[in-house]
Amino acid sequence: MKSRGQGHGGDTHSAAGSTNDVEAFDRLYREHVDRIYRFAQRMCGQADDAKDVVQDTFLNAYRGLKNFRGDAQVSTWLYTIASRASIRMRRKRKGEPERELSLEEFIPTSEGEFRLQIPTDGLTPQEALENKELSRALHQAILKLPKKYRLVLVLRDMEGLTAKEVGSIMGLNERAVKSRLHRARLFVRRELSARGIAGRHPAAQTTGSS
Amino acid sequence: MSTARRAIAMHHSPFHPHHGHSKALCVKVLRRLSAYLDDELTVGICKEIRKHLGACPNCEEFIASLRQAVSLCRHIDPAPLSPAFKVRLRIQILKAAGRG
Repeated sequence: MKSRGQGHGGDTHSAAGSTNDVEAFDRLYREHVDRIYRFAQRMCGQADDAKDVVQDTFLNAYRGLKNFRGDAQVSTWLYTIASRASIRMRRKRKGEPERELSLEEFIPTSEGEFRLQIPTDGLTPQEALENKELSRALHQAILKLPKKYRLVLVLRDMEGLTAKEVGSIMGLNERAVKSRLHRARLFVRRELSARGIAGRHPAAQTTGSS
Repeated sequence: MSTARRAIAMHHSPFHPHHGHSKALCVKVLRRLSAYLDDELTVGICKEIRKHLGACPNCEEFIASLRQAVSLCRHIDPAPLSPAFKVRLRIQILKAAGRG
């Protein structure tokens, strides 16, 4: 292996393991680092935390690569490692208590609660997210979710995994995944609607009569 | 119903099931809305839910906002890592693995 000079990994390769190990790692890193960083940002909300999660994930992946038997997809295996890393990260930073979300807390008690609106003003989701206030509210709502609900929402709705894949990552059956997903979505809906963002946007006030 | 009339109606009844059915039916539908959005229900149950949504403006608005929330989540696109940082991070990981 060629040396790249001081501090740039020339001696890291030999120290880290065989050339084959490093080549296998490099392939894994190249193909999946963007996906894992995106996932980590969605879970952590902050770029610095997300970078730590990526580092933790690929370090653990490097160490586990030899034992990875390929009975799961590589991406699912990495998501599993990254999920644990991001949960550890959140615990370290916040220490927030885990709480269960009951379905009952999302059952509307008044007509007003049924009719909560999310102020997207008929825009496409991409256009609506250009509104900084809405975008910030959405990020806050996701980060406010207890982590086991956030993990399901991120993996299923944002990363686009199937309920079965999410179940294998989290060690849950599909039914439990779907139940958590429903509560997580109801939570985000209520958080977004309850913030009264609509009232501060003139376009959102012209409802109903057009 | 005008806004004023609705306000009066709501004042008299915090929950106002004025669409000819009980709240229990709305709750039954609400419990299944994610499965409905994800197309996981049988044709018969979907048909029942569509029928309810058509007759219940409250549930119709509820599902519209839930659909919007899901759709917004799907469209969050975080900024990517810079190529320079990816190179730096790779080196750090390999160094750490070497020490481990």
